[in-house]
Amino acid sequence: MRIPLLSAAWVCILAAVMVHSSALEARLLRADPNAIPGNAALLAFARDRGGALFEAHCAACHGTGGQADAVRGIPALSDPQWLYGTGSVSDIEQIIKYGIRSHHPRGWNLAIMPAYASAQPSARDSKIPPLSPGNIGDLVEYLFQRQGRAADDAAAARGGELFLHAGCYDCHAVDAKGDSAIGAPDLTDAVTLYGDGSRESLVMSIAYGRQGMCPDWVRRINAAGIREVAVFVYSLSHPQGQAGAAAPGSG
Amino acid sequence: MVTPAASNDESWRNSRRVSTRRSFALMASGALLGLLMAGYSLFTARGTSTLIVPPEDVALVNQQPISRSDYIQQLQTLYGVDLPHATAEQRRKVLDDMIREEVFVQRGKELDVASTDPEVRAAMVNSVELEIAADAITQQPSEAMLRSYYALHRSRYASEGVMNLRDYVFPLVESGAAAQAAEALRLGAPTPTLLSQWHAADSGKVSDQEFYFAAKIHLGDSLFEVARELSDGGVSAPIAVSDAIHVLYMLKNSKPVAFDFAAARNQVLTDYRNDAIGHLRSGDEAFLRKRANVLIADDLR
Repeated sequence: MRIPLLSAAWVCILAAVMVHSSALEARLLRADPNAIPGNAALLAFARDRGGALFEAHCAACHGTGGQADAVRGIPALSDPQWLYGTGSVSDIEQIIKYGIRSHHPRGWNLAIMPAYASAQPSARDSKIPPLSPGNIGDLVEYLFQRQGRAADDAAAARGGELFLHAGCYDCHAVDAKGDSAIGAPDLTDAVTLYGDGSRESLVMSIAYGRQGMCPDWVRRINAAGIREVAVFVYSLSHPQGQAGAAAPGSG
Repeated sequence: MVTPAASNDESWRNSRRVSTRRSFALMASGALLGLLMAGYSLFTARGTSTLIVPPEDVALVNQQPISRSDYIQQLQTLYGVDLPHATAEQRRKVLDDMIREEVFVQRGKELDVASTDPEVRAAMVNSVELEIAADAITQQPSEAMLRSYYALHRSRYASEGVMNLRDYVFPLVESGAAAQAAEALRLGAPTPTLLSQWHAADSGKVSDQEFYFAAKIHLGDSLFEVARELSDGGVSAPIAVSDAIHVLYMLKNSKPVAFDFAAARNQVLTDYRNDAIGHLRSGDEAFLRKRANVLIADDLR
């Protein structure tokens, strides 16, 4: 008699857990994504489940804690700097869903750093001219000057002119402060996605280009899973789970 | 003496004895649970007709979902507001627009616009290619696989060479002067002397440091092939081309340097993915062609 009763009890508990989980998932999906961090129950639910999905799908590049890797161009997900969008849950969700340079029509595909040490720096824009080694050196001096670091003034002046004529300002803006609407980094701060910010690493970025990629997961993870991962990623940079969107980031 | 009712009651409790009542009760419970699960699945699963809008969507148009997150993003894009701050009018407008789009897309399918509209065809081709590539895009190759790929294609990963040279030109009739000038250059003759004494001129095709690709464009293939082999301070033999006799004087030639794996890793990953995508696409294309019934007109066979 005990075995059937125990089995029935387990089935009931399991059913109750599933119903509760399903109800929470529905609440999570219906909620305003940017309000989820302000709801402790939803935040905990999404963060736990999102963490497992993150580990399964994202950790291969981002590591389990969303740590940066400047050699591979992996951004830190645990700081408040956001290259694409504002770092709000809804913006993160869109990135996970449609990717970055994933070729998905709704992805963030616009910003590609041209490889200026090649005959055609950009495959998409034939008007972007190649640069000479001297030009690249001048641009690096200009960027050093903008960052308040010691630079060759004459070369920086030439680099400033080049910045406006070699297509740089198109993405990085006239003031070189970037544009998070397209994922163009701020070149005037100390935050670097690739390399250590040295002259050599800047030369590498300008000469050979950068085009890191984040896949679109819309065909691989369901809507609830994508939102859960978005909340988990948000929580990496907001360990206390503060409500509201993050401040617009730059580099 | 045990009565039949008492016996049945006893067997109901005793799991080691057969009980008709228990069997029926368990069967009924199983059937009820099955019905509940079937009902739940029926009204929530994709592809089935339902009257309930799933929580991840804001509407169903002929059972086609309109994603809630896309709706929120559209609100943000159009009005710069998030869901709680959007007015009823803004919410309605965005929803109406998205429903309109879905209705028109569905009508487009009915009208088979893909058979006539080149933009729709291109978008469909792109979309199917993307779907085929999805596996390669979402899979992260291991470091060992990337290293192996790098080892196989090592020659692809090198810096662009840089050269700083002078291209002196002599009239075609002055071949002797060109040879003497080349010899003088080898002995360190200063440029002004060279230009005046042997009537040479700097072609101006190359200036200061140039990447190899630029030097190749500026010099032309034949002169570039000679130039790339010169070492620092090297002087070429006179080279007669259609317009003049050229003597190349290499000030500094920085040949391409192979990138190590760490420096090349990002490009290796991109190339690896592109190769995998290409492989998947060609495989799928072969399968689709094999599956298709293609008839070709007699005159084009």
